[in-house]
Amino acid sequence: MSKIAIISQPEQGVLIDVGGCSTLKEALEHLSGTLQSSNQFWKGSKVLFGLGALELTVNQAAQVLAIGKGVGVFPDEVFSSSAKTRAAFAEQGAKVIDKIPMSLPKIKLEMPKGDIPFAEADEADEQPAHHAANKKAPQAVSDITLLEVDTIEVDPEDEVEGQDKKDVLKESTIDGAPVDGAHLPQVLYVKQTLRSGQTVSHKGDLVIVGDVNPGAEIMAEGDITVWGSLRGIAHAGVGGNSEAEIRALNLQPIQIRIASAIARAPDRPRISYASGTGPETARIVEGKIRIQKSKAD
Amino acid sequence: MSGRVIVITSGKGGVGKTTASANIGVALASTGVSVALVDMDIGLRNLDILMGLENRVVYNLVDVVEERCKLRQALVKDKKLPNLSLLPAAQTRDKSAVTADQMKKLCEELKAMYDFVLVDSPAGIEQGFQNAVAGAEEAIVITTPEMSAVRDADRIIGLLEARKDEIKEYRLVLNRYRPTMVANNDMMSVDDVLEILSVKLLGVVPEDEDIIVSTNKGEPVSGTDNIRSGLAYRNIARRIRGEEVPIMDLDVKNPTWMSKIVSFFNPTVRV
Repeated sequence: MSKIAIISQPEQGVLIDVGGCSTLKEALEHLSGTLQSSNQFWKGSKVLFGLGALELTVNQAAQVLAIGKGVGVFPDEVFSSSAKTRAAFAEQGAKVIDKIPMSLPKIKLEMPKGDIPFAEADEADEQPAHHAANKKAPQAVSDITLLEVDTIEVDPEDEVEGQDKKDVLKESTIDGAPVDGAHLPQVLYVKQTLRSGQTVSHKGDLVIVGDVNPGAEIMAEGDITVWGSLRGIAHAGVGGNSEAEIRALNLQPIQIRIASAIARAPDRPRISYASGTGPETARIVEGKIRIQKSKAD
Repeated sequence: MSGRVIVITSGKGGVGKTTASANIGVALASTGVSVALVDMDIGLRNLDILMGLENRVVYNLVDVVEERCKLRQALVKDKKLPNLSLLPAAQTRDKSAVTADQMKKLCEELKAMYDFVLVDSPAGIEQGFQNAVAGAEEAIVITTPEMSAVRDADRIIGLLEARKDEIKEYRLVLNRYRPTMVANNDMMSVDDVLEILSVKLLGVVPEDEDIIVSTNKGEPVSGTDNIRSGLAYRNIARRIRGEEVPIMDLDVKNPTWMSKIVSFFNPTVRV
């Protein structure tokens, strides 16, 4: 389980979010570990702490600030969804906020002059080498840079009784309503058929187990995988990741968007949806969205 | 340029508002004037499908109102008629996403760009309808020759009359008319409907299977020759432009034994 996210945006500063930790002890460890591991990095940039829903007393808040002080950092803003924690930090002289300070970048599409091009079908089979190259390192997604992701197993003894043990998602939305918990580029699984008018957006990779019907819209900063038929609109690589891919068992979308590229389905009349295409993948090749058949065997 | 803003409305759902909007839009644009079609059915958008433009929609009306894009970016040009554009509705929102004032402003902007602005209203008399009529100066009321549809059309006409400061003119289109049923006294005739609604008649469109085919193809019938319903819509467009075009004679006269004999020998003569 990922416990900590660091999100950096040029205009908004750097957010160190330990809200994914279930105990204060753990949060403190991560915070001090992160600050000390790269203490040169923080100089001159605006630093924000994110504490999620953790409840802290005044003393504990002082402890958090002391860790920062050790490396010469005093947070410009402290985010917490707990009123108690906010009050504790306010008493220590820190500026507190109750909203997640970092948000998804605005979607910008380059509108083609004239007509929107087709998604061109590529008869060649998917090349595994190309696939592997995509997966090498976490890609810098436009102005959001992921610096470090720490993965640590929770010791059951660290758990405080009565505290919610499960990690909740943030900032992903279904139908516009925020789903808590997706600071990290992680995978959101949606096991349902998305019908016309429904939307899912996610900061990481998105997997839909079910169909995406015409009129539904799905968006992700990373890849989109549909274990079913994709017939609506899919936008992968939101924010600029042109390496993002869209794959589906049955790829019949109205539109495909990857990063700022956009392609539409051909104008042939569509009355029968029953015949499938077999698994296919859409990706950007030489600036154009291409669709390639995925090898079945 | 100051164009005419015409709302197409009905009260009842399923009587053919969207089909009429698409067809009148295509028919008007075919006469050479510039036309903007505005889909106000936010959350249940269909006009883009009927126009065969669904795969070209990137931004929509709500994006324009909320200033996520420019009006020009949201307007989708028709495949065949360069002087016809569609402003699609948002599918992932609902009617409360825009206000009447925002619609008024939007219609003002469109009026400056196009000769005709056709607003496709959603069914019902709630906010969606209120938004659709907000910027309009004329209305086309669609009904079918059924009691329930006529009753709802009457309600709508009442609401339009209450806005007589804004809505200067409203006319009726009688849709899905079946002359043979009328002849057998199984359906209200044009005169029956006009008797109840006492409103100016803009046109009568016969029931036509070709409409279903055209909807699936995304090619409105008024763009195709040799289709009766298409001709009816082209006539409606000409009447909107001020031409005097007689209403098509659709009625089947009650055949007498004498007329049967005449038409047997000379099928082209209609008695």
